[in-house]
Amino acid sequence: MEDLGEIHQLIVPLFGHEMTFNLEPIIMTWIVIIILLIFGLLASRHKNIVPGPVQVIGELFINQFYDLSEDALDKDLGRKYAPLITALFMFLLFANWIGMLPHMHEPTKDLNTPLSLGIMGFVIAHYTGIREKGFKEYTKSYFEPIFFMMPLNLIGELAKVVSISFRLFGNIMGGSIIILVVSYLTLSLVLPPFLITFFVIFIGAIQAFVFTMLTLVYIAVQVN
Amino acid sequence: MTLDIDTWIQVAAFVGGGLAMGFGAIGAAIGEGFTASEANLAISRTPKISGDIFKNMLVGQAIAESAAIFALVVAMILLFTDFSGQSILMVSVLLAAGLSMGFGAIGSGIGSGFPAGEACVGMSRQPAMSGQLTTNMLIGSAVCQTPSIFALVISFILLFSDFSGLPIAPTWAAILGTGFAVGLAAIGSGLGGGLVAQTSCEGMARQPTSASTVTNIMLLAQAVTQTPAIYGILIAFILLFKGFTPTASLPAAMALLAAGLCMGFGAIGPGIGIGNTGRSAVRWIARNKESTADLTRIMLVGQAVCESTAIYSLVVALVLIFVI
Repeated sequence: MEDLGEIHQLIVPLFGHEMTFNLEPIIMTWIVIIILLIFGLLASRHKNIVPGPVQVIGELFINQFYDLSEDALDKDLGRKYAPLITALFMFLLFANWIGMLPHMHEPTKDLNTPLSLGIMGFVIAHYTGIREKGFKEYTKSYFEPIFFMMPLNLIGELAKVVSISFRLFGNIMGGSIIILVVSYLTLSLVLPPFLITFFVIFIGAIQAFVFTMLTLVYIAVQVN
Repeated sequence: MTLDIDTWIQVAAFVGGGLAMGFGAIGAAIGEGFTASEANLAISRTPKISGDIFKNMLVGQAIAESAAIFALVVAMILLFTDFSGQSILMVSVLLAAGLSMGFGAIGSGIGSGFPAGEACVGMSRQPAMSGQLTTNMLIGSAVCQTPSIFALVISFILLFSDFSGLPIAPTWAAILGTGFAVGLAAIGSGLGGGLVAQTSCEGMARQPTSASTVTNIMLLAQAVTQTPAIYGILIAFILLFKGFTPTASLPAAMALLAAGLCMGFGAIGPGIGIGNTGRSAVRWIARNKESTADLTRIMLVGQAVCESTAIYSLVVALVLIFVI
């Protein structure tokens, strides 16, 4: 139970300040990236009209998310942002699922990963909004319906980043804490695998999809 | 009778366990009752597939019950763990753990009964969609459980973390505030998420061709519905981990308790309201698939306006923690 809330950190002194690196999520993120790279290589190496098994899975992801982004944004913009959306989903899916292997930890369990992905989505959404609507139109949207609503609109935008990242973080960390505590309390062989199926595979996939959809919708709201 | 610290801790553990299971029993029972009543309706309409409907009802009720089971787990830990020999701070920790889980189970319990009931009715209307309806119900009910999972996580963190080094004076109030913030905030979001999932099952049965769109929009609407609960868990984390300077003044401590209460109560209404918006949007998207983009946009704007009152509570809670 002692490893509840324990974080392995690497503290590097730099010009009188201290830079803190959480080692575990960094290593796990790299493992996820390597898995994704291998998956991409296998899926695209022998491209064929009659696809191999890995190519089918890759095409499934791509078809699904190209359709979704073209529905949410318009046709041109949708095709432009679809690779980002697909990549985001696949990264989050593998990042959430890696926790089912022994001694592996989800990088999304550390708040830094969801928060940085949330901030990335926020920046992309607002950049797209400014580019599509023009800076004047973009600024005007903050003063609606009345000008003194500006501070609240601003807080509302920032609250989106908080809610999107805490939703993923809370669900994944919650699942792993529940699995840890139940395994500690019962020492059973039946209950933890059942919980892993529910919290890691099922909730992990749903939350990866929700995070991706929300990023896409935040972009769509800024454009329209 | 002597009233030393150990006695008080024991009292708090028992009261906390009672609160956890007492409040936790409310929601799941209401939700399961709704499911069963809808199943009766469904079976009377299409008696031929009564076996399938009965199975679906049991699965749906089992998911609706999970919130109450979380509460049972917390209550059992509170009743049977030996907490003696710790500081007086443990009194508020144990009470907060019970309150958080007890309140947190209400919304999700009621909420996840709705999709289960509606899935039964949908099966009677459109027996060919049974499999997809059960899948959609499982996804919808599972996402409904998120607020109660947040409450469970905060309870576990409270029960299994070490608070011994912290100053007693303001921390007791902060910890009680944590329980209220996450527990009360979970009520609205759990209930609202259930409303969204309910009409998604209904829409899927009425218009099987729009099934995948309906599931996608349902997930989106449920995610936005959880935002107030997420503000609750955010305030809870700040109250737990900020580390307050020791103070003897009562108002400073009470401000932290008030921050938790403010965020908790302030999130109930927005959760239900956002859920209602999503419920209607999903219902009409199922019937009018061509206008999905428009309806989704209106839904998101409406939800953002509903959410503004939760943001007012968040701002006041942050002011109470950091400014006062």
